[in-house]
Amino acid sequence: MFSRFGEASRDFALLDEFRRRLDRVWEDMDPSWPASSSVGRAHSSSAWPRVNVYDGGSNLVVKADVPGLSEKDVHVTLNESGLAISGQRKVAPPEGYSAHRQERSSFSFSRSLTLPCKVNPEQTQASVKNGVLTVTLAKAPEAQPRQIAVQAH
Amino acid sequence: MANQTDLVDRSSGRIETVQQREAIAPLVDVYENSDELLLLVDVPGATNDGIDVQLDKGQLTILAKRREEPPGSLLAAEYRACDYSRVFSVPQGIDPSKIDAQLSGGVLRLRLPKSDSVKPRRIEVKQG
Repeated sequence: MFSRFGEASRDFALLDEFRRRLDRVWEDMDPSWPASSSVGRAHSSSAWPRVNVYDGGSNLVVKADVPGLSEKDVHVTLNESGLAISGQRKVAPPEGYSAHRQERSSFSFSRSLTLPCKVNPEQTQASVKNGVLTVTLAKAPEAQPRQIAVQAH
Repeated sequence: MANQTDLVDRSSGRIETVQQREAIAPLVDVYENSDELLLLVDVPGATNDGIDVQLDKGQLTILAKRREEPPGSLLAAEYRACDYSRVFSVPQGIDPSKIDAQLSGGVLRLRLPKSDSVKPRRIEVKQG
């Protein structure tokens, strides 16, 4: 049963299994790794927070995962070059506890995004809910979609 | 070779889920004091009704579902809306009925109180 050959091939099978599991760990921990083809500008592996940009027809919506941050911790700035999101994430260990595992960390962050069209700065709104920052930017009148009537001849 | 249509991927021994929706491992802090274990879990986008925490046979399973309607068509994406799932083996002496979960600002706060029998007890030394 346990010939030399059999044992060797079993070891190789274990190695294969190990490698496959390691690949899975990367996929599980970071859904954007390897970076998907739909990722837009300003992407780097250290970019925080991760941002999704949506086109809502008459407006643009920028969403970012900012767990643990309140509206006071996030600064949203709109200028000619685009939209900037910055702030500080503070993770303070609770008093009187000893730490077993600390994966969440404190850091400052700053990101700027180039917007795909002109927006109306007066009608920009930002809110934080359930740890997700949502910035809604109304498109400028010239960037609004316009329905063109198709005429019969 | 294992049959590819199996519900369980026998070649890797990993049990696959019926749903295709993927789950990622959220970042977790674990703290302890003499009364309890405290877990802080980053689950941005999850809401109260999507959270499922279970302690069974020393395994703490944390599941948080994310249900968000996209506000339009996607122009650029750096993250996908996926569920969060993580399993910890916890030491004995945690009372499952007293586990307390609070969700605030995308952070799940789990308190696992220790039962009285495992709490440290100071022994008085009596004069002989």
